[in-house]
Amino acid sequence: MPVRVSLRARHRNMRMKKMAAPKSSSAEAPSAEALSSRLEELPVGSDRIEELSDTENEYEDIGTITQAEQAHIDYLESVTIPIRDEPETESSKAQREAFEDIRPFLEGNPNDFPLNIFGLPKLQREKHAAFLKSALGDYPSKFAPMDAARPWLLYWSLQGLTALGCDISEYREQVTHTFSMAAYPTGGYGGGYGQYPHLAATYAAVLSLTIVGGTDAYESINRRAMWHFLGQMKQPDGGFTMAPGGEEDIRGAYCGLVVLSLLNLPLSLPPDAPARKHGLTTFLDKLGAWVSSCQTFEGGLSAAPGNEAHGAYAFCGLACLSIMGPPKATLPKHIDLPRLIHWMSYRQCAPEGGYNGRTNKLVDGCYSHWIGGCWALAEAATGRALWNRPALGRYILAAAQFEDGGLVDKPGKRPDGYHSCYNIAGLSHVQHNYVYDEAESGAGSVLLDAPWRWKTQGRYQGDVLWGEDDVVGQVHPIFVTPWGAAEECRKYFEAKEGF
Amino acid sequence: MAPKFYHDDPVWADIDPLPQDDGGLHPLAAINYTDEYSEAMGYLRAVMANNEFSKRILELTEHVISLNPAHYTVWLYRAKTLFEINAPLRDEIEWLNPTALKHLKNYQIWHHRQTVIEALGSPDGEADFIDSMLEHDSKNYHVWSYRQWLVKRFDLFEGKGELEWTEQMVEQDLRNNSAWNHRWFLVIGGRDGRALDEETFKREMDFAKRLVRKAPQNQSSWNYLRGLARHANSTSALKDFALEFADLSRPDEIHSSHALDLLADILATEEDQKEEARQALDLLATRYDPIRAYYWNYRKGLLEQPGAVA
Repeated sequence: MPVRVSLRARHRNMRMKKMAAPKSSSAEAPSAEALSSRLEELPVGSDRIEELSDTENEYEDIGTITQAEQAHIDYLESVTIPIRDEPETESSKAQREAFEDIRPFLEGNPNDFPLNIFGLPKLQREKHAAFLKSALGDYPSKFAPMDAARPWLLYWSLQGLTALGCDISEYREQVTHTFSMAAYPTGGYGGGYGQYPHLAATYAAVLSLTIVGGTDAYESINRRAMWHFLGQMKQPDGGFTMAPGGEEDIRGAYCGLVVLSLLNLPLSLPPDAPARKHGLTTFLDKLGAWVSSCQTFEGGLSAAPGNEAHGAYAFCGLACLSIMGPPKATLPKHIDLPRLIHWMSYRQCAPEGGYNGRTNKLVDGCYSHWIGGCWALAEAATGRALWNRPALGRYILAAAQFEDGGLVDKPGKRPDGYHSCYNIAGLSHVQHNYVYDEAESGAGSVLLDAPWRWKTQGRYQGDVLWGEDDVVGQVHPIFVTPWGAAEECRKYFEAKEGF
Repeated sequence: MAPKFYHDDPVWADIDPLPQDDGGLHPLAAINYTDEYSEAMGYLRAVMANNEFSKRILELTEHVISLNPAHYTVWLYRAKTLFEINAPLRDEIEWLNPTALKHLKNYQIWHHRQTVIEALGSPDGEADFIDSMLEHDSKNYHVWSYRQWLVKRFDLFEGKGELEWTEQMVEQDLRNNSAWNHRWFLVIGGRDGRALDEETFKREMDFAKRLVRKAPQNQSSWNYLRGLARHANSTSALKDFALEFADLSRPDEIHSSHALDLLADILATEEDQKEEARQALDLLATRYDPIRAYYWNYRKGLLEQPGAVA
């Protein structure tokens, strides 16, 4: 067997076994990418970054290359774009450096995880579950900057745990209780007691209650007040603001429709909705056109008209349109689909296989969902297979699993609930097939019933790189909740008379 | 800095703080707040319940923001207070500048700034401030989004140096896609559908082509170029340009996968060029951009359908 050095001079004799500590110090905000630009509201995990020991110089000779490693190295070479990208600028330097950090994880197994039959690290189910459970526990005082994002902490953990196959019923009572304290008297949910209602917090709250399910959880939601709150968020131009006096962006359009649809709320605007003064009568008025105005010259969708195309906002826009009607109808009606698909395809980084969120940005595990989740919707609209699932699965298993549990943006970063939830959701998108079935009407209602017409259609049958042990649960393509949970919630409220 | 408390401060003696209510059962993801944070929040909840808007609210909210800058409720209440008491808004901007630099990734601060600048009615000094933010993080989504709002609100599209500044940002890092997006916003996107005059179109095409030549594998400049051409319905006119980087008769010398991609699109629209389009897509799928093979094969499938072009 060849010795590593003879193969790759750049490995200099030895190979880094552990990742170097994150380049940023623990004091810096988390996920280098602005949390801002994502659906989340807060520097989640910022303070969770504990000092990693300084492993910068910690090299360990791990001997010769295994057959599996050689296969990974050959694979990476086969999907590398064979054109030099010159001259170097700030962006390409960052790209080159990030890849040097990621490469050892795609070629080998620096975390010493047990490998599956394809030579990739197995899904570390127990470790991730333990991490997500601990994220539901108490936080020390330095986590005060998360005070407004606690609904997210619950949602990310609950969604991640259920996808890993964990029973979360033990949390049901506490989840319901936690959100009853965050409910705002005039409707919607805030980050916690006494905080203004906010659509992101409301989305995370309603989804969490949907995930735990049961009469007590459902009945804890004040639907009439919620309807009024959503009426306050609807804007004359068709979009939604995130909070009273807050910003208007495409997250609002998605979160608002998720809540309307899950809770089976009336589509007509409440009488006190300010948008009524501008001639709007329903929540859907001008909405399709507003989402359409977020499509940029690149083909992707942005937070608001004029801004840069971005993965998380693209998912919000597509999912919003897919609640409004069948993707086959609403996507081509409001979006230039070929340009969108072009842009989405280019978000997959070569050779990493994971996704970035914007042109010329770095791969980040959270886009395993934000872009990965767009594909089921785009494929429902085109009826064609469009994306490279094995490459994403490879990135998640090989590069996004943290040694001690939890999933990450990229090697060298600390895990958090956000990246854990959305990497796991991405793995689910890779592994499971969903189809939109005109004939299927899961919940049997007329209004906003498109989300209920999805069917699961077995596993992805292409080049799988995962064993049975690495398979996670099915996730609803619109709501990002365990398969069946959203349907239960909707059925419950359909069976109720009025509010 | 020493912790600040209110219970022994005579200025706040009239307020009964509203402590955090956890309702008896231990909540999930509970934070063990410091006494300082707990107390400040208790006073904030109390004054919010009273709808008090006064100068001392600015001090209280500043304090809470220093402890938790991601607290949207505090920012929204502070903005309300500023307007209710007619506080001097320039002072607010002076205070915001160092606060923003301290919390680069903060979400709320930009919306707050926008609210204040909107009311001030002047963009003076904003460009400089944005520059200092971008020096730390040249692709910060909120900073660029704010800049777009600023351009639109104060009509900075022309004659105010905005285009020159953007050009400088692109030249500094020709892969900074945020800068390219801003340029698009200035030239086309922000102008509410106003037609692009021929001179501007030519200038932009020349600009994009020059930067493509500088870095032929840069996605940003190609996206801009293709966006422009599509906007002017003249994509097919880019054929010769694409051929400079991707000549199908020399498949071993492709200098840009993006050129190949564009060429495939153009060939798909031409009579009797479907085979060449297929050849370009095959080169992408098998050699020059194989990670997207599924996509390139999908594009090949579209060639069979009359009129369907990606």
